[in-house]
Amino acid sequence: MLIELKDVNKTYNNGQPLHVLKGINLSIDKGEFVSIMGASGSGKSTLLNIIGILDNYDTGEYYIDGRLIKGLSEKQAADYRNRLIGFIFQSFNLIGFKTAVENVELPLFYQGVSRSRRHALAMDYLDRLGLADWAGHYPNEMSGGQKQRVAIARALITNPKIILADEPTGALDSKTSEEVMQLLGKLNREEGVTIIVVTHESGVANCTDKIVHIKDGIIGRIEDNREHRASMFGTDTIMK
Amino acid sequence: MRFDVDTYREIADSLVRNKSRSLLTGFGVFWGIFMLLFLIGGGKGLKQLITANFEGFATNTAIVVPLNTSKPWKGMKEGRSWQMTYTDIDRFRIMIPELETVTPVISKWGQEAVNGTNTIDANVKGVYADYCKIEEPSLKYGRYINEADVAQERKVCVIGKRIYTSLFPAGGDPCGTMIKVGPVYYQVIGVDYSAGNISINGSADEAVVVPLPVMQKIYHFGNNIGLLCTTGRSGVKMSQMEDRMRQVMAREHNFDPTDKNAMLVINTEQLFSIMDNLFTGLNFLIWLVGLGTILAGVIGVSNIMMVTVKERTTEIGIRRAIGATPRDILSQIIMESISLTIVAGSFGIVFAVQLLRLLEKIVNSRPDATAPVDFQIAFWTAIAAVALLTVLGVVAGLAPASRAMAIKPVDAMRDE
Repeated sequence: MLIELKDVNKTYNNGQPLHVLKGINLSIDKGEFVSIMGASGSGKSTLLNIIGILDNYDTGEYYIDGRLIKGLSEKQAADYRNRLIGFIFQSFNLIGFKTAVENVELPLFYQGVSRSRRHALAMDYLDRLGLADWAGHYPNEMSGGQKQRVAIARALITNPKIILADEPTGALDSKTSEEVMQLLGKLNREEGVTIIVVTHESGVANCTDKIVHIKDGIIGRIEDNREHRASMFGTDTIMK
Repeated sequence: MRFDVDTYREIADSLVRNKSRSLLTGFGVFWGIFMLLFLIGGGKGLKQLITANFEGFATNTAIVVPLNTSKPWKGMKEGRSWQMTYTDIDRFRIMIPELETVTPVISKWGQEAVNGTNTIDANVKGVYADYCKIEEPSLKYGRYINEADVAQERKVCVIGKRIYTSLFPAGGDPCGTMIKVGPVYYQVIGVDYSAGNISINGSADEAVVVPLPVMQKIYHFGNNIGLLCTTGRSGVKMSQMEDRMRQVMAREHNFDPTDKNAMLVINTEQLFSIMDNLFTGLNFLIWLVGLGTILAGVIGVSNIMMVTVKERTTEIGIRRAIGATPRDILSQIIMESISLTIVAGSFGIVFAVQLLRLLEKIVNSRPDATAPVDFQIAFWTAIAAVALLTVLGVVAGLAPASRAMAIKPVDAMRDE
């Protein structure tokens, strides 16, 4: 198993203690295309933060590729994030004063890859996502779909074990959303990238092969969705 | 810290992105370092300008002047006058062996010096050859009064700068020329250009110095000495000699040795120590004002970096999420802070150096300029200033950097 969560609990102590994750058990294998679906407040974002090593959990165990992720130093956590995980965010989170190619290069910069090499790699990834012509443009000169593709290139460039996408279509229109989801699907099928998408849109979830429903901090149903028929709205396009 | 071209480009980018903000913040540091260096240089030049007034004047000199007594003594009333005589010279030499030079001066004011049609009022001073140890002459032409002049009572003279320029407007070496001073003709043997403004019985500029016995006879001075000039041997403090001088003189000339008003002792050591205290105070002020201004500038930098970090919370969060360690963030913020202070400070250094150069030029080109005054700060002062800027840059960056390091990627994402 690539990802394994065993009885993971998380409580926020902001005034009133809030038990967000109540014993999560989840296994995701290499090459899977999974969505985690739930309403807001269900704990899906917290789960994503824990999987992405952006946040700590209180009890339980979390393994990536057999490595226990617990009580890491900031430096180690940063290193794991850099090498094991690629992030795609709802609001793209590109750095506004850097060009597309510079944004894509950034994870390699923190790995200490040489300047010419990371530039070549970044151009390569942008080219694969059809953005070679836009390499020198700043995020505010691009459309939402283009920005998200730049973000995907940035997530892919370190060749991570997992791609974590937090509402990747949240800020996109339905047509672009469709394109982005198809792109993720294609990456999963053709390159064997493990992708976890967190969403509250059933249409988006329908694009994935496996849907994990989370409700009130507990994993509910896990649907096998290889037929992509889980949602009546998802058959044609993503409803907005 | 990663040494990468992009590290530096990024720093330059983020400083240039907020041009007016960086400019205004940098101005504080610029002005601070400028003030400090300019004040240091200016203070140094001022000190040189003022000490130039003491030039050619021995620093451990005491001058003895007889005045009226202010206390009754041995049945005699107060308010008596007394005079020093030539035997007092040897008396001082024998009784106070710590004195190196003991030499008298007699002088006569308002004597007309004439050379052809040129005239000027001069102050005639009669001295022995060893007087040059009290007021060191800076001879442009010729020589000073020597032992032979004194022994043979030659009618020769050394003239001051103003006398020379007035009597010899055409310039050139006047040595050998006969000039009339008062009732008598003297042969000019030297021109003294010493610039000091401290002088005994009138400025060296307007003096005609002649051998003492010559003057004594021409002006009927008799056995009386006007002033007695003394210097101490090296290591002797003249202020400690004062009481002994008073006692020696009091016994001979019958006045109360505790009567400070009967005999005036002008001690240059005291004058110099007053000057030194003045400059110590001035230096303290310079550093206080200079460092204070820099500090204000640095606090400004720290403040602005704080705002910058706040503004860039999301960006820092993104960087952390994609693998930047807290150390990366720390070094980025500190480097930005250092860059801002160093760039702004360098302009301050350059500006201060240029302005001091201009000042030096103006001061040294004034018509009555004497020795050139050096306002410029030392090279190592500038290097030290750069080092100071680096340290201050780090200090300014510390608080903002620690705030930046506290940013968690999750918090940053939530900001959206």
